[in-house]
Amino acid sequence: MEIIKSLSIGALFGIGLYQLLRRNVIRSAIGLVIISNAVNLFLLSIGAYDGVVEAYAKAVGQRSDALPQALILTAIVISLGGFAFVLALLYVIAARYRTGDSDEVKGLSH
Amino acid sequence: MTLSLLAILPIIVPLTAAAVALLLRRNFQLQAAWAFGAMLTAFAASAYLLWTVWSTGRPVVYQMGRWPAPFGISVVADLLSATMAVMVQLVFVFGFIYALGAKDKAVHHATFYPLFLCLVTGLTGGMLTGDIFNLFVMVELVVISGTVLTAMSDDRYGPEAAYKYFLISTVASFCLLFGVGCLYMSYGTLNMADLAARIAADQSPALLPAAVVFLAVTFMIKSAVVPFHFWQPDFHTASPTPVSAMLSSVVVKIGVYGFLRMTTLLMPHADWLRTMLIALGIVGIVFGGLAAAGTHNAKRMFAYSTLAQIGFIHVGVGWGTPLSLAAAILFTFNHALIKSTMLMLSGYLASRAPVKTASFGVLRGTGKYAPLAGVLFFIGGMALAGIPPTNGFISKLTLFQSGVQAAQGGDVNGTLTYWVPLLLLGVSSIITLVYVFRALMKIWWEPFKPDAPDAKVKPYGDSLLAPGLMIAACVALGIWAQPLLQLSQDASAWIRQPQAYVQAVLGEPMGWLK
Repeated sequence: MEIIKSLSIGALFGIGLYQLLRRNVIRSAIGLVIISNAVNLFLLSIGAYDGVVEAYAKAVGQRSDALPQALILTAIVISLGGFAFVLALLYVIAARYRTGDSDEVKGLSH
Repeated sequence: MTLSLLAILPIIVPLTAAAVALLLRRNFQLQAAWAFGAMLTAFAASAYLLWTVWSTGRPVVYQMGRWPAPFGISVVADLLSATMAVMVQLVFVFGFIYALGAKDKAVHHATFYPLFLCLVTGLTGGMLTGDIFNLFVMVELVVISGTVLTAMSDDRYGPEAAYKYFLISTVASFCLLFGVGCLYMSYGTLNMADLAARIAADQSPALLPAAVVFLAVTFMIKSAVVPFHFWQPDFHTASPTPVSAMLSSVVVKIGVYGFLRMTTLLMPHADWLRTMLIALGIVGIVFGGLAAAGTHNAKRMFAYSTLAQIGFIHVGVGWGTPLSLAAAILFTFNHALIKSTMLMLSGYLASRAPVKTASFGVLRGTGKYAPLAGVLFFIGGMALAGIPPTNGFISKLTLFQSGVQAAQGGDVNGTLTYWVPLLLLGVSSIITLVYVFRALMKIWWEPFKPDAPDAKVKPYGDSLLAPGLMIAACVALGIWAQPLLQLSQDASAWIRQPQAYVQAVLGEPMGWLK
């Protein structure tokens, strides 16, 4: 379980970072969402320390630390609001520059 | 109990006022008056908070919902936090005065003042909070309100700059969240005082170095240290003037505050962090100064100049002696005043120019019609370069003294980390003079020859009241520097005793801690 968890967090972070660095502005926004999910998954897994188990473990009678779940809720709400705004921003950029290529979005380059 | 409520007033007043200001969106005059009144109230509260903390010599701690310290969220106003809160809110009061007299369309939008109040809430909250997750929430508040304020700018490149800033800053916030997760997994607490006590007692957890790196990356992006500065010049060029004046002066200071806390309270054991700050500071001073000298836009020039000034602050934090920490705090305070003034003056010139932009090509010669702005620009430029009798001189002098003192008392191996920044202090002042005089020459010396033959300088622009008052404050703080210097020295003495901070937050040491 540990190894699956670590690998999936790492893979999500890698995919997100790769998408973030792409030249298409929409892909970079999607990369941001994937990274935020990697962070949330990481926060979910930190609930397991000092003998408490993860929130998703099926062991009966064992408890999990609830605080990281509260952290995830806060982080999800914040990234939801931010992502909604960034989509609106992308709409304006696409309408104004007529392109989704970040190399062409360079009005401020000098 | 009533005294401890004082710690939360500078956060709660602008936050509540922002919500109420949204309800007042139909009546713009009322909304602006309400927002300005709320800002003045918050500033009065934070000034009183600073006075209380300084005169009683004890931090003011508020536990949210009366949950005892490591379990609830603490709001801690020690001398550093209170000084930073006063700095932020003082600059924002001037920002409001500028916004009230500004001609931008964005400033007259119904959401401008609520967002501006949210920005000050996030900054003050980030500096007063004693809970590291709450720091993340406040930083996100700053990022989102800053992004929206820039996206609604009159400048047609506003959305582009906002998008760049949002992308990079959100990655920084996720790094902060990763760091918070690493710390929580290692020590099972989010309270900064509790974390400090536990980290000091036990540095064995495997995730602690990862947490240090993640937090360092976060604060490097937030304070626009050179390899992480890419968002900053674009963002400052495109945002509305009152906002860009706030961004360059106080928004980057949240990263500086983070490093001050990291190197003294949370991770004093990480020596490499201090060495790295000195190295990055040196790179920033050289790069920022040279880049500023080669720009074609007044706002962009000051954005690059911020990189150099932040470099000096990081060098001060990196030296870590009592006097150099005091110099870093003093530098932070003075730079906030100077830089916001200079950006306001650039914005004023842009508002008078035929086309609303701070580009030197358009501004060339327009200074003939704005002589008062020229005088203010000259004094501000002197302050930026560190020429007496301005506050910039006091901060550079203190930093220089602390460096000489540390170099004489320091070990032989580390002398390079002292003498290179000391040399750069002089070199950077000269570079600053070069680019300030370049701007003065282009705007006030050269003749007014617009591209379009019928282009005229507008008779009225933004109000010059705010930059005028701030220049007066800069000169006053340069002549009557003792109180602020004393305050910085006391704050630096406080943050060098993290045990006092820990004890003030946690109260009596609890049984289960031992």
